[in-house]
Amino acid sequence: MKFSGNRALIVGGSCDLAITLAQCMIKAGLFPILTYRSEKGLKYILKSLKTSKREYNALSLEFGNRDSMNSLFRQTDDNIDYMIDFVHGNFESLIASADVDRIYSYFAENVSFRAELVKKVARIMMKNKRGRLIYISSSAAARSNHGQGFYAAAKLASEAIYKNLGLELGGHGITTITLRPGYIDSGRGRRFIGTHTHEVLNKVPMKRALTKKEVAETILFYLSDSAAGFNATEISMDGGLTAGK
Amino acid sequence: MNILEEITEILAEILDIENHNISPETYLIRDLGVESIDLLELAVALNSIFKIDVNDDEIFLKKLRQYITEAEQQNKDILQYLAENLPFLSRKRLEEITADLEEGPTLKVEDLVSYVERQCYEN
Repeated sequence: MKFSGNRALIVGGSCDLAITLAQCMIKAGLFPILTYRSEKGLKYILKSLKTSKREYNALSLEFGNRDSMNSLFRQTDDNIDYMIDFVHGNFESLIASADVDRIYSYFAENVSFRAELVKKVARIMMKNKRGRLIYISSSAAARSNHGQGFYAAAKLASEAIYKNLGLELGGHGITTITLRPGYIDSGRGRRFIGTHTHEVLNKVPMKRALTKKEVAETILFYLSDSAAGFNATEISMDGGLTAGK
Repeated sequence: MNILEEITEILAEILDIENHNISPETYLIRDLGVESIDLLELAVALNSIFKIDVNDDEIFLKKLRQYITEAEQQNKDILQYLAENLPFLSRKRLEEITADLEEGPTLKVEDLVSYVERQCYEN
């Protein structure tokens, strides 16, 4: 695969999927910049990426904290070719029983903060006249589920931000994709699948969860020049989960 | 190049027009037909070239009518209120703007120059 750019900001870089993607990127000659929100996250990145630090970077970003965002951009030297956005806070609650303060803070963190982040990255990319952003959404955005209303709403709002950006700046060489993975045998998904194995397998026509390697390699493909024609669109990667009734 | 010359170069490149079509008195939207995506590109270029923070709402006078409405609702002196919210514009320029509102968007190249001058000075 060929890549026009080199430096990739991976937001939410301490999750298993992000680390797998970073490993694929390093192999492909790209330079991942992984963000983490805690020392635990940083340690996990350092432990997982057993390679020369010169092949990647890890920077702090506390989602929802604007000072932290400004600090991040001071360290990236206005040099970002790709952004892959994995971050998403969890909020499981029935709509009618949710804590109101939590509703406000959840959307501030997961939608408003993200909008500012996307705006800033887009302006950096405009200076360089190129850029590709991939938002990692979820099949939950397309398929309503009890207790996942706020999660899905924030995902859909975020998808709309990315989609519009691709629409507005596609002509300036900046394009976007939303990837909606289904069940992944990794992180939060692995824990859920572990406790609901039969239920999950029954829902997915492929009868298995996705592997993190499959998803990471797919993201890498969508960053490549071969996938340049994809823009302002959502792509489902869920083994057929959302195709059926 | 001075600030006006830099801004002229940037605008000419974005709009694919000759430099001589641009002067301090040129209206961006009325005369040059600048669109919102052009303004965004202009803001990014000003940030990159002059190393200044660019607030799109301020530099492009996007809240001008909102400020006038607020001043009227609060029974405040309109020019004074505008001067407080758009401090990079001179009193003379604010008087011109308020007298010119009926004709359409009032943003001129000279306003961009004033904004950049102030931001550079504050840096």
